[in-house]
Amino acid sequence: MLKKIGEWLDHRLGLSPILKFMMKKDVPQHEHTFWYYTGSSILLFLTIQIVTGILLAFYYKPTLEQANASVARIMTEVPLGWIIRSVHSWSSSFMIAIVMIHLLGTMFTKSYRKPREATWLSGGLLLIMSMAFGFTGYLLPWDDLSLSATKVGTDIPRKIPVIGAWATKFLRGGEDVTGDTLTRFFIFHVCVLPLAIILILAVHVFLIQKHGMSIPLEAERKGRQVKGLPFWPNFVLRESVVWLILLGVLLTIAVLFAPSLAPAADLMAPAPEGIKPEWYFLFLFQTLKLFPAKVLFVNGETLAVLTILAMVALLFLLPFIDNRPWEKKGKIITYGGYLFLVYAAVMTVWSLL
Amino acid sequence: MKIKYSLFTRREVLNGLLGGGMTALGVSLLSPILKFAFPPTREPDQVVLPFSDYENIPPNSVKSFPWGSKPGFFKRREDGTFLAFVAVCSHLDCNVTYLPDKKKFFCACHEGWYDENGLNIAGPPPKPLRQLEAVVEGEKLIIKKPK
Repeated sequence: MLKKIGEWLDHRLGLSPILKFMMKKDVPQHEHTFWYYTGSSILLFLTIQIVTGILLAFYYKPTLEQANASVARIMTEVPLGWIIRSVHSWSSSFMIAIVMIHLLGTMFTKSYRKPREATWLSGGLLLIMSMAFGFTGYLLPWDDLSLSATKVGTDIPRKIPVIGAWATKFLRGGEDVTGDTLTRFFIFHVCVLPLAIILILAVHVFLIQKHGMSIPLEAERKGRQVKGLPFWPNFVLRESVVWLILLGVLLTIAVLFAPSLAPAADLMAPAPEGIKPEWYFLFLFQTLKLFPAKVLFVNGETLAVLTILAMVALLFLLPFIDNRPWEKKGKIITYGGYLFLVYAAVMTVWSLL
Repeated sequence: MKIKYSLFTRREVLNGLLGGGMTALGVSLLSPILKFAFPPTREPDQVVLPFSDYENIPPNSVKSFPWGSKPGFFKRREDGTFLAFVAVCSHLDCNVTYLPDKKKFFCACHEGWYDENGLNIAGPPPKPLRQLEAVVEGEKLIIKKPK
């Protein structure tokens, strides 16, 4: 009976080649196999975000008057609302953390080398989108902290020469952060970004299947044979173990440390002391703090923003710069990567002091 | 079909016209979309406040008023003269606060400091606080953009 249904569907949809491909593909086994699990873990957290996000949107109201109160209602009245919000909030942090680990793994194993440059570029876009999700979501509870963080965050693009003022106005829906900004951020968060991330993710996953998993640089250079592990069922089983562990950790943390909610933001109130963005923006936040007002007659902010943009451009261009990863140049770039990691860590810790 | 001395075939010309026309149509649709996405600026040219509410604030203190969607500060100096500012940091747009004991304006976001006249003195702010013009006309306190 099931077989008949399967055949009926296959005649209409023609999906059997995809299934066959999944059944027979191998996942290489070697010293860097660990990194393969990071990709699928991101999918786990993205799924959790989609499910909990839809649930939260059942009750959330994206307007100046109602946003904070509707989140308060989710936290206090809606059955299990507090844990759904807590999971959504924690899962976003988990997702971005693993996106970063995934990126570092790809960077240090140099898996972005030819022919996987486009996979890297789409991954870079996915990182930016994940951070945009975090940034837009942070405003939605509409308390003092989220308002100030959004004021700062949306003012930063203003310092980009030529298009900056337009970018800020577009993000805010006007000159200032107002109720319009909240509604706009909600639409970015629940409509624009989800459409975009699913599209780019499809490209990313397709490219990974097209090129196959990358094997270590050395094995590729020396033509060493790398053992394979069948994707189905062996690798999927191992992935499931990782997923279950992560899910357990996520739920435990979400239950024990539910996010708080401050009273509704007042557009006229002075910024509260000790405002901080989410942890993944801290190193940028600290960098901004360090730049003085003027550096040799140039506006310090403009310089800081241009520096950040240059870093992003460098990240995207990395596979093209690091085009001979096995030579000395490749090693220097690896050390550069470590140096940047240390910089980001130091800045993050410093901003917390 | 291509005439001997022509650079393009008829098909290429027609495809070019069609494709170019479609592209032009697409691009022309961007303009209304962008126009819609940028609402008009809401900063007022002036606000009118009842002077009685602001007249009697103690020296070396501020009282805020709404300047469009931003806060403004009306400040009384120790000699009794008045000043008005947009109470928003010139660094990254956070609302500032006035600390009377230090006689300074302070922005908590990135620790920016301004002196009692709104001049940026420490931290990241690149410019002084924006000053507004305060005029008293009878019962009314009119605060307007400086000329």
